[in-house]
Amino acid sequence: MTRRSETLIAGALVLLAPALAFTKPIAFADGTTVMLEYGAGTMTEAQIFYAPQYNYSVGGGHVEFDSAESTETVRVTYARLNYLLHRWNLESAQANAFVWGGAGGSTGNTFSARQFTVNAGAQADYETRLIYASMKTDLQKASAFSIRVDTLQLGVAPYKHDSNQLATWFVVQARNYTGGIQNGVEWAALLRLFKGGAWIEAGVTNTHKLQAMAMFNF
Amino acid sequence: MKTYRIFLTVLLLLAPIVVRAATIEMHVKGLVCAFCAQGIEKKLRKFPATVDVVVSLEQRLVAVALKDGQDIPDDELRKALTNAGYTVTTIQRSDTPIAIIRSRFGQTKP
Repeated sequence: MTRRSETLIAGALVLLAPALAFTKPIAFADGTTVMLEYGAGTMTEAQIFYAPQYNYSVGGGHVEFDSAESTETVRVTYARLNYLLHRWNLESAQANAFVWGGAGGSTGNTFSARQFTVNAGAQADYETRLIYASMKTDLQKASAFSIRVDTLQLGVAPYKHDSNQLATWFVVQARNYTGGIQNGVEWAALLRLFKGGAWIEAGVTNTHKLQAMAMFNF
Repeated sequence: MKTYRIFLTVLLLLAPIVVRAATIEMHVKGLVCAFCAQGIEKKLRKFPATVDVVVSLEQRLVAVALKDGQDIPDDELRKALTNAGYTVTTIQRSDTPIAIIRSRFGQTKP
């Protein structure tokens, strides 16, 4: 990643930070969320969480990292607690900030024994019916590796959807990996659609790879 | 005179039914997406008195159709919405059928 790109990302995060939120892993109380993500061949993740209350959820996931810079691969399976730090219910918008932490085990082709792995992260979102912004940082750390994935998304809706209608969003995503997974910021243009409890998002990255995500709430 | 008294008695007996709230309409802050609506509907449908729930993101309103002769206290409604993660600003009752409210919201029954 160039110094200029780093500065742009850092600036955007700082500008957005005071206003952001909305928690994907905690859709609603007594709800189960399943998320599947294919991150341009570099990161593939599956997660499932159950939220007993609107402000926390428990569950776990499995993530696979395949370095774009080397032959390194890392597989992590983890249990996790997501906690909503605060929600701002505004007249025509919602903003939340949440954090998570967990632990699990990992395997990889650059280390031999299974590693105890710690997972920690935070996310903030801000959403109206026309604009959307979120930033997320997610760390997987073991004695043999430390991988952090920072993701920034900005979205615009071409129309205001209502509760029984299909929601459409055009989203720009910027993602940065540490730990030798990928150098430089990966950009992606995404189309997001959701209706009821189903959400799908797909697009291409600046390296012409598929970036896709599906989420189901029930 | 006797007929008049009988008529008056019947009217008084029917009065609670006639003025009974058919629906509850709540103004809710933070309603911006279909997932919000899904969580709120799930909460409100758990009340035994609930017949139907309609959520309008455009109007920022949640409407609950009630079973005949039944109601849900305001504090329970506020608690349900708060526990769903939202903020209720006003609660109003009316005898407007849920179908009319749904139509007012520009929605059709799924």
